[in-house]
Amino acid sequence: MSLEEFKNRNVGEQSYKMLDLKHTPKSSMGKFGQVVERTVKGELFVGLWVTLREMGNALFKDNMHTIKYPLEKLPISPRYRAIHDMLRLLESGHYRCIGCGLCEKICISDCIKMDTRYDENQRKEVSEYTINFGRCIFCGYCAEVCPELAIVHGGRYETASEQRASFSLFEDMLTPIDALKQQKEYDGFGAVSPNADDNIKQTPLAY
Amino acid sequence: MTAKKIDTNNITLTIDGKNCQGSKGDTILTIARANDIYIPTMCYLTKVEPIASCRMCVVNVEGVDGMILSCQEKAVDGAVVTTSNDAIDKQRQSIMKLYDVNHPLECGVCDKSGECDLQNKTMEFDVDQQSFTTRDQHRPVQNWGFISYDPALCIMCEKCVHVCTQIVGDDVLAISAGGYNSTIINTKQDEQCSNCGECMSVCPVGALVSTDFKYSSNAWELEKIPASCSHCSATCQMSYEIKDTAIGNRQKKIYRVTNNYEFSSLCGAGRFGFDYANESVGKDSEAFTRAVEAVKKAESINFTATITNEEAMILQSIKQKYQTKLICNEARGYQKFLEAFCSMTGKSLYSGNLKNLSTSRGIIVFGTRINDDNPMVKYHITMASRRERARVAYMHPIEDASIQSIVTQFIKYEVGSEEGVAALLAHTLLDSQKPTKAVQAYLDDLDIGNLSAESNIGEEELDALLHSFDKKRGFTLVVGADIYTHPKAENIAKLLGLIEAYSDFEVLLVPPATNALGVALLCDLDDDAQGYSVGYNAKANFVLSALGDGDLDMPALNQQEGSFTSLDKRVVPTNAGLSYGGYILNDIANALGIHTINTIDYTVKLPIEKGYQSIEFDDLPDYYNSIGEEHRGYLLKQSRYKKDGKLDEVSTLPTYDGSVVYHCNTNNQFSTFTNSCEQLQTEALLRGSAQFASITKLQDGAKIKFELDGVLYERVFMIDTSMKGTVAINPSFDMGLSSSTVSSYRFSQPKLETMDS
Ligand code: SF4
Ligand code: SF4
Ligand code: SF4
Ligand code: SF4
Ligand code: SF4
Ligand code: FES
Repeated sequence: MSLEEFKNRNVGEQSYKMLDLKHTPKSSMGKFGQVVERTVKGELFVGLWVTLREMGNALFKDNMHTIKYPLEKLPISPRYRAIHDMLRLLESGHYRCIGCGLCEKICISDCIKMDTRYDENQRKEVSEYTINFGRCIFCGYCAEVCPELAIVHGGRYETASEQRASFSLFEDMLTPIDALKQQKEYDGFGAVSPNADDNIKQTPLAY
Repeated sequence: MTAKKIDTNNITLTIDGKNCQGSKGDTILTIARANDIYIPTMCYLTKVEPIASCRMCVVNVEGVDGMILSCQEKAVDGAVVTTSNDAIDKQRQSIMKLYDVNHPLECGVCDKSGECDLQNKTMEFDVDQQSFTTRDQHRPVQNWGFISYDPALCIMCEKCVHVCTQIVGDDVLAISAGGYNSTIINTKQDEQCSNCGECMSVCPVGALVSTDFKYSSNAWELEKIPASCSHCSATCQMSYEIKDTAIGNRQKKIYRVTNNYEFSSLCGAGRFGFDYANESVGKDSEAFTRAVEAVKKAESINFTATITNEEAMILQSIKQKYQTKLICNEARGYQKFLEAFCSMTGKSLYSGNLKNLSTSRGIIVFGTRINDDNPMVKYHITMASRRERARVAYMHPIEDASIQSIVTQFIKYEVGSEEGVAALLAHTLLDSQKPTKAVQAYLDDLDIGNLSAESNIGEEELDALLHSFDKKRGFTLVVGADIYTHPKAENIAKLLGLIEAYSDFEVLLVPPATNALGVALLCDLDDDAQGYSVGYNAKANFVLSALGDGDLDMPALNQQEGSFTSLDKRVVPTNAGLSYGGYILNDIANALGIHTINTIDYTVKLPIEKGYQSIEFDDLPDYYNSIGEEHRGYLLKQSRYKKDGKLDEVSTLPTYDGSVVYHCNTNNQFSTFTNSCEQLQTEALLRGSAQFASITKLQDGAKIKFELDGVLYERVFMIDTSMKGTVAINPSFDMGLSSSTVSSYRFSQPKLETMDS
């Protein structure tokens, strides 16, 4: 775009395409004719039919578009960064976090805090771990820096709470030991949704 | 003459194109560091002799083939040095590659992470992959009491071994060589070393760490508060490292103590004895009102010398306003001693200091069990012994096994005969000197044969002593707490003053408690208490206590800011590691109309005539420069003193026949404060030799009680096989407020009563 064109503030005449609409009747007779024409043509029922069809689909074919939140939830993209999950090692069931403190250090809202100690097996044990979700901005840095793939973002996006500060403890985020089999590996930030193929539509250009 | 001397000592060299000044005998590395030029090192530790095990410090010197180790090569005048080029960098990188071979990838949990030399230099020299490897060994972690050792992380830099031998003098660590299987071994696993933690502090990696601190926090989460150790008069430089106690408890807690290990040291009490704060104290205004009333009506104030200079000033102000008597048993004897000493030397302070002690070639230790009384003095004697091959004569009634390796001559004297010993020493050391006629006459008049017989020091021992100092330079006489409380302390002080005034010896009068020198200079102390009394960490009718057991709580020294006067005659600042919520001494002074907003406002008012300077607390420097020169606070100014001392005749020496008890705290224990620290917990025992047991007819493990200075001690007796003779050692660190009552001569003969168990 040249500067000239850019400066042209006359919006009326650039490359707008005008729709090929019929002329609006001007005479009273013409207007009356249009009303009669629309009435007898049954255009109205076209719309009603669509409604009826979808109602039928919903009631009898179990194909409803409305999501009954909070009873139902939409699947969420794996890239979505919601409340953190703490994962376990699949082989031993031990939590993966080694207590390195890198997430605590990198967190730009300073909302992670952890206590560690020397345990009976001469290992570093995470004795306490919290994230303040009143401060967390879900930036994902903690998950990014974690050397053990221990802290990841999960899909729990409901963070409303009665207080400004709402904390999660280690146990709240840790995969329950009996749900270890269902623990899903986090695909990472560039990951596509598992149903990505289904979601693909033709691009508008093809119409 | 001096100007010329400096000239010949000065050398100039060019390092990386920069003109650098240094003096003869300096290494290239020292001169580079003094001139802010960086040369990477892995094994260099300023406070010990160059170790030269890493080869990271290589440089090129023009005209010299090959690379040179800058840490041990003495600089030559006019040399042109290059610290970095492709070949050197390549060599450094390959050294780092070797260090990294099989190094466990456990920075994530390692305590050293974030302040690890290996981590830093691996990054610095871009070692991002490992191209060779070696067979891995199973090398489990070893727990050595306070310290744990992980051989897998050890890079065999040998710093730990060198500090243990050259500074601490315990010779506990050794190297077991064997290529990649080399490790450090602890040769005293079961006997325990002195637990000073020096090895751990210099370890550049996470191989030696504190068992208590291990895995409890990452280094970068801790906030460093610069401070001075409050346990003994060395007042060593250190930092409290603090952080929230836990997630659910935002109260700060001291996690560990670190220090500037490159240049200075700590003993175990300083390093592991930090948790003595008087915690969770609120403002109890009723108790405060009572305290103010008590101080107002008190006729005497008893206190310990474990206070800051500023608090000493406050007490002195109270004295000036109310004519209250100030009683500080720890410092009073020292004060009188110092005054008598100075009346002979004509100078306001003694001349010895730690630095000169560490470079002395001849050292006499007199009247102190130095390893227990002041470990830092012992470290400096060790340095002299190991580096300068100093002759060290240890004069004491009890032999001390823990300093055997540095003592070249043990001179045992009879308990109580210190005055005679001092006279003999003066006589011996002034032999070839030229004192005044009066002094000479006094010395000539001494009945040496008799003194030698009574004190049980053979004349041949003194001859040997004198002989061993032949052709040496740099002498220090270390004098300790036995003497300050001796009934004839004043005359002993004068005799020792002669040695300072007329011989080559520098005398170091080791203050018997943290700030005994400060209190001695700042307070007009009285001898005897009278009437209603207020105690500050001491027994009295109304007690202000930082131990949490008094009538009004006071902050402990790790909760206070202020300054100490150290044995180096240095005024050093200390800061509050932890906060304190209650009332402090200054609040009481304010309520009594002695107004100052903060305690540290007294720092600038410290009396100039005593050698202090008028510097605001916040302006006191607190650092070591790049070559380790100490810039902590300032040194007291030495001034003239009235030289009017008159020597008394040496009286008949007292005799202590039979069993004797010596009052002395044990390794890493100094006071009730160290005793309240979790890691330092030990049982207070009366320890004596088998001979002591046989003359007192005590069984090992017998329960006994006895009274000393009006304090009742209940003790378990233990036979210590490392001890000899008829003197047993009795500590007082567990006696709480009563420990301040100990005021008389350290040797005594209490009646030992066996208790039924
Ligand atoms: S997502 Fe970001 S703000 Fe939230 S805890 Fe992680 S690093 Fe902190
Ligand atoms: S970064 Fe990962 S391993 Fe490290 S403390 Fe955080 S969650 Fe644990
Ligand atoms: S010693 Fe240093 S490099 Fe080795 S694991 Fe510990 S922090 Fe990492
Ligand atoms: S333990 Fe530490 S200081 Fe000692 S040799 Fe190993 S790395 Fe060096
Ligand atoms: S107790 Fe004395 S020697 Fe030990 S660290 Fe403290 S001041 Fe230094
Ligand atoms: S620093 Fe010179 S060899 Fe290690």
